[in-house]
Amino acid sequence: MSVIEFVANGVVYSSIIVLASIGLSLIYSIAGFANFAHGDTMTVGAYATLVAFGLIGGLGFTILGVPLGFFVATGVGIAVAAIVAVGTQRIVYDALDVGSIGLLITSIGVAFIYRALIQMGFGAGTVRYDIPSLRPIESLQAYGVLITAHDLATVVSAAVLVIGLHLLLQHTDLGRKMRAMADNPDLARVSGIRTYRVKLWSWVIGAGLAGAGGAFLGLFNQLAPRMGFNLLLVVFAAVILGGIGSVYGAVLGGFLIGMVVEMTPLLSRVGIPVGIEYAEAVAFLIMVVILLVRPTGIAGDADGGGV
Amino acid sequence: MTTTETAVSVVVGFVVLALFLALVTGALGASYFLFLFGLAGMYALLSLGLNSQWGFGGLINFSVAAFFGIGAYGAALMTAGNSPIAGGFNPIFGLIVGLVVAALVAVAIGIPTLRLRADYLAIATLGLAEVIRLFLRNERQWTNGSAGIRGIPSFFEGWPVLGTLPQTMPSLEVVIVPGSPILLGTQFWRQLLNVSLLLAFLGATFFVLRRAQQSPWGRVLRTIRSDEDLAKALGKNTFAFKMQTFVLGSMIMALAGVFYAHLNLFVNPGDLDPITTFYVWVAVILGGSGSNRGALLGGFVVVAIREGSRFVNDFAWFPIDGAPLRLLLIGLLIVLVMRYRPQGVLPPQRELIWPSAIEGSGTPERPTSGVREQKGSDEAGRNGGDNDE
Repeated sequence: MSVIEFVANGVVYSSIIVLASIGLSLIYSIAGFANFAHGDTMTVGAYATLVAFGLIGGLGFTILGVPLGFFVATGVGIAVAAIVAVGTQRIVYDALDVGSIGLLITSIGVAFIYRALIQMGFGAGTVRYDIPSLRPIESLQAYGVLITAHDLATVVSAAVLVIGLHLLLQHTDLGRKMRAMADNPDLARVSGIRTYRVKLWSWVIGAGLAGAGGAFLGLFNQLAPRMGFNLLLVVFAAVILGGIGSVYGAVLGGFLIGMVVEMTPLLSRVGIPVGIEYAEAVAFLIMVVILLVRPTGIAGDADGGGV
Repeated sequence: MTTTETAVSVVVGFVVLALFLALVTGALGASYFLFLFGLAGMYALLSLGLNSQWGFGGLINFSVAAFFGIGAYGAALMTAGNSPIAGGFNPIFGLIVGLVVAALVAVAIGIPTLRLRADYLAIATLGLAEVIRLFLRNERQWTNGSAGIRGIPSFFEGWPVLGTLPQTMPSLEVVIVPGSPILLGTQFWRQLLNVSLLLAFLGATFFVLRRAQQSPWGRVLRTIRSDEDLAKALGKNTFAFKMQTFVLGSMIMALAGVFYAHLNLFVNPGDLDPITTFYVWVAVILGGSGSNRGALLGGFVVVAIREGSRFVNDFAWFPIDGAPLRLLLIGLLIVLVMRYRPQGVLPPQRELIWPSAIEGSGTPERPTSGVREQKGSDEAGRNGGDNDE
C-alpha cells in the first residue's frame, strides 16, 4: 500500500477517535474525573443506532452511499447515549462522595454494566449494519487512494459535528458557561452559573459525541460488545496527547493518534520492525512518553483546566 | 468484634456449613472443591499483592493481569515440555524466573509511571499492561501466541516423595452419609498437594507483608498514602518507597501466576485480559483497602461469582448467559460498594494499631506508691549504679 493510502485510512480512523476524545476531554474537565465508561458509551450509541436503523429503514435516498435513514438512526444513537449518560450521572455519580479516584473506579463498574446489558441483549458475536458495502471511489483511485463513500461520509459527519461543537462553545451561552466551568468551577458558580446543569449538558454533549463515534465505528468496522472498551485506551492516549481540558487539543490529539495507529506498518519500511499488531501498543507508548515529558499535553493548561 | 465482623463471621460460617454438607452428600466433588479453594486462594494472593500497592501505598495499579501473566508464563516457559524456549526445568526455577522477571518489569513500568498523579497512573498502568499482553500474544516464536502453552507439570514434579504422591496414595472411599460414598482418588491427592502449596505461598506472603507493614518502612508508606507532600517534607524519598512497594506487590502477583500455571496446567494470553485486573480490584475494594484479611474475603467472593456464574448455564430456564452475568455482577458490585461502603466490608481496624500499643489491655493501673517516693528510690538506684555519662 502506498503512503497516501495509509494517510487516507488514518484520516478516516482519526475521525472516529476525534469524536470520542472530544467527549472524553469535555467530561474530564467539567465532570472532573477520568470516565472509564466512555468506550462502552460508544458501544451503547452504536447498538442504539443498529436498533433504530432496523426500525427506520433506508428512507429512500442515500448521501455518499449511506442511506438517509442511517443518519437519522445515528441521531437516535446519539440521543440514547446522552440519555444513558445523564441517567448514570443522576443515579450513580450524584450519590457518591468519594473524590475523582472513587468516581474513576465507579465508572469502571458502570462500563461493565453497560457492556453486560448489551451482551445480554445482543449476544457476544459481531453484527453489521444492513448497509451494503461499497467499492472504493473510482475518481480517487487514480491518486492511489482506496476509500469508499462510507469512509467519506464518516469524515464529513465528524467534521460537521466538530464544527458544530466549535460554534456551540464559542458563540452560545451554554458554550461560554462550559468554558468557564472547565477553567475554574468555583469562580463559575460564584458568578451565577448553574454548574450542575452545565455538568449535565457536558454529559449530553460528551456522551452524544461518543455515541456518534460508536455508530460510525460500527460502519467503519463492525459491531461487537467489546468494540468500545477496545478503543478506550487509544482514546485516552489521544486525550492525554492533546491535553486534558482542551477540546481543540483533543481534536489534535485524536487526529495524531489515529494517524499513528493506521500508519504503524510504515515503520517497518523505515527499518523499525514493528508489525501492525503492535499499532495500539505504539499509541500507548506515545502516551507514556507524553506523560513523562509533558504531562499537560500539547494544548492543556498547567492545571488541566480550560476548554 | 464489631457488628460487621460478627455478621461476616456468621455468613462465612453458613457458607462453610453449606459447602461441608454438599461435600458430605457427594453433591460437590471433593477434588473440584479443592480446585475452587485453590482458585479462591489464588485470587486472595493477587489481592494481597494489590493491597500492598493500593491499600498501603495508595498506588492505583491497573496492570495486575500483566504481572499475573508474567508469573504464569515464566513458570510455563521454564517447565513445560513443549515450551518454545527453555522448558523441562524443575518448577523451582520457573518460580524464580517468574519472580525475577516480574520484579524487573515492575521497575521498568514504575520508573515512568510512579511519579504521575493517581488517574494518570491508572491509565498508564492499564496501557502498559496491554502492551505486555500484546507482546505475549504476538511473539509466537517465544510464547506460542494465542495457542498458549500446554503440558505444564505439577509443581511437585520430580520431587522425591511428593512428586508421585497422587499416584502412590491409596484411593479412599469415605462414607459419611450412607448411600453416597465420597471417592478420594488420584485427582483428590493432586489437588490436595496444590492446596498445600497455595497455603504455603499464602502463609509466606502474609508473614512477609505483616512484618513489612508493621515496620518503620510500613509507617513511611502509610504516611505517603495519606499525604505525600508531608512525607517529602519529612525528607523521605517517596519515589523509592513507592517503587519498593510496587515491586513487592508485583512479585506477589507473579507468585499467584506461578501457582496458577501449576494448577491449571495451561496458560494463554487470555489470562492477561484486563478483566482479571478488575476482578482483583473488586476483591480489594469489597474486602477493604488496606486490610489483608479483607483481601482474603474479597478473593473468596470473586471466585464465588466467577464459578457460580458458570453453573447458571446448567439451568436452562435461566434466561441470562453466564459470561455477561458475571460482568453485570462485577459491575454492580463495584458501583454498590463505592456507593454504600467505600471503605469495604472489613476495613483495617486493629491492623492499623501498633501491636505494642494494645499489649496489656485494660486501664492503666493505679500506682502503689506516690510519684515522689518512686522518684526518690529511682535516684537512689541510679546513683548506686554506673556513672558513665
